[in-house]
Amino acid sequence: MNAGLTVRVFGVELRDELRAIVREPTSLFFSILMPVGFFVLFNLLYGHDTTQGISAGTAMVATFGTYGVITVAALQPGIGVAQDRDLGWLRMKRVSAVPIGISLGAKAMAALLYGVGVLLLMGVAAAAFGTLHASVWAMLRVALVLLLGTVPFTLISVAVGLRFRTNATIALLNALLFPLAVLSGLWIPIQFLPHVMRQIAKFLPTYHLAQLGLSQLGHGPVLLHVLALLLTTLGAAGVAVMAYRHARI
Amino acid sequence: MGTTAAVLTAEGLRYRYGETVALDGVDLGVDPGECVALLGPNGAGKSTLVTLAVGLLTPQQGTVRILGSDPRRAATRRRLGVAQQTLGFPNTLTVHELVTGAAVRGGLRAAAAGPVLDELGLADLRRRRVAKLSGGQKQRVQLAMALVTEPALLVLDEPTVGLDTVARRHFWQILARRREQGTAVLVTTHLIEESAAVADRVVVLDRGRVLADAPPDELVTRLPDRTVTVRTGLDRSELEQLPGVLSVTPEHELSRIQTRSPEDLLRVLLDRDPHLSDLRVQDAGLEEAVLALTDRADEGTDATGTDGGYGRDGSQRAAEVTG
Ligand SMILES: Nc1ncnc2c1ncn2[C@@H]1O[C@H](COP(=O)(O)OP(=O)(O)OP(=O)(O)O)[C@@H](O)[C@H]1O
Ligand SMILES: [Mg+2]
Repeated sequence: MNAGLTVRVFGVELRDELRAIVREPTSLFFSILMPVGFFVLFNLLYGHDTTQGISAGTAMVATFGTYGVITVAALQPGIGVAQDRDLGWLRMKRVSAVPIGISLGAKAMAALLYGVGVLLLMGVAAAAFGTLHASVWAMLRVALVLLLGTVPFTLISVAVGLRFRTNATIALLNALLFPLAVLSGLWIPIQFLPHVMRQIAKFLPTYHLAQLGLSQLGHGPVLLHVLALLLTTLGAAGVAVMAYRHARI
Repeated sequence: MGTTAAVLTAEGLRYRYGETVALDGVDLGVDPGECVALLGPNGAGKSTLVTLAVGLLTPQQGTVRILGSDPRRAATRRRLGVAQQTLGFPNTLTVHELVTGAAVRGGLRAAAAGPVLDELGLADLRRRRVAKLSGGQKQRVQLAMALVTEPALLVLDEPTVGLDTVARRHFWQILARRREQGTAVLVTTHLIEESAAVADRVVVLDRGRVLADAPPDELVTRLPDRTVTVRTGLDRSELEQLPGVLSVTPEHELSRIQTRSPEDLLRVLLDRDPHLSDLRVQDAGLEEAVLALTDRADEGTDATGTDGGYGRDGSQRAAEVTG
């Protein structure tokens, strides 16, 4: 497959994935309405408070933003892979000689673009409520960090989708996502969580991602969080490779 | 296999799913421009053979080659147009999007989809999502996706399921046209008589073995069976006692009698019933020939264990036609 054809096929795959997202209302509900809705709600309630020197509304772009991009990255590609497998669509693509990596890559890319959309909506909402006190440059850094941070979640999502059927994939990924969100302080600021939970949080990649996002808005350590996320990504890549090798398509 | 290089060759193919033997030493060849119909009862191994041919399964023994190379290689598969028995599309896409997608994935321009959509009568449905298509319409979309890449070999696993009479006739016409343009075709079907009109060769598979591989006419003439149709006063049980009678089927006022020796039968029949009229003697059709082959293969085995055997009543076909 030459480079030109690869690019064109990737384009078709990506377009199909984006169509699947836009035309599937349930995915829109869980992946946009819920995170953005929560964000708006908490912003209205506590947006004008100040925590650790930054406005709560601004901090929420990092924490709820983490929740938003993680939801998309963890659910969308995996459920898509499982559905395509159940339908025999992935088989069909294999017959038409589309490298499976291109199909999976398009799913990951579509989820990433979707994540950008979620972050944009949150940013616009926060600005509209007057709770956004950060430079555009800082916001861009937050967005970049959060989007890069979705990589391990996308990998795990795809791994689950390659291994399980659609319903099991949905259940498993949600079961993974919910405790991560609660325990990492994505909904309720970490300092308000009980001591035990705060201890657990230190071992969760979502905590490190949210903290890394917050550090872009104020001050705080960066290295530890980056290391934790890199380790997670390595582990997730290992799991994804295993799942890919043993996948039945 | 003739002098030209074969499009498809399979040699000594064996495949088993756990304990179930699906293919038990199959040889098959398809030449350029040749249309081969793969026939056989449910569970005969047709889909398994097709799946191996398109590189989705790896032979446990034997080899498959498409245009001389391994179908598990992506470059080889790009020369194929495939319609699988179980089809599935994402419900979020439209007919047009699916067929243009197939064109681009096959290395062609999206515009290549237009003529194929027209050819298959899908032009009016092009904006419709596949979720909102009928079964036969979906089947046609799959066919369009297989045809759009202008493959060297079309591999179609029961493409006529769910098609109405007009669509089916249309389908065989499309196959005939493609064959004339040099496209080779391997098609599995339960519509034996219809396939006979288009197929250059018929391969009968049963329990993973090739029972026959010959042009349809030859298969029919090879079968000594004849059908004798008469209007007679003799009742069914009396007819069944006559020499050389295989089976008797009442048909309105007439009786259809299967026999291997029509001359012996007629001598006795004319003697017994002086009022006999409307006499007709015909060759058995291809369907009879295939049935006879698979029935013969069943002989000596437990008749109740032949899950999915065609059965003499042709119910298999009836189910297909109404499906
Ligand atoms: N995935 C599978 N796992 C286990 N056994 C299988 C599997 N697929 C097919 N078989 C078995 O292999 C044999 C051949 O099946 P195959 O699907 O090739 O038959 P077929 O000729 O296509 O039948 P049909 O006319 O019903 O489509 C059957 O006995 C079937 O039960
Ligand atoms: Mg089959």
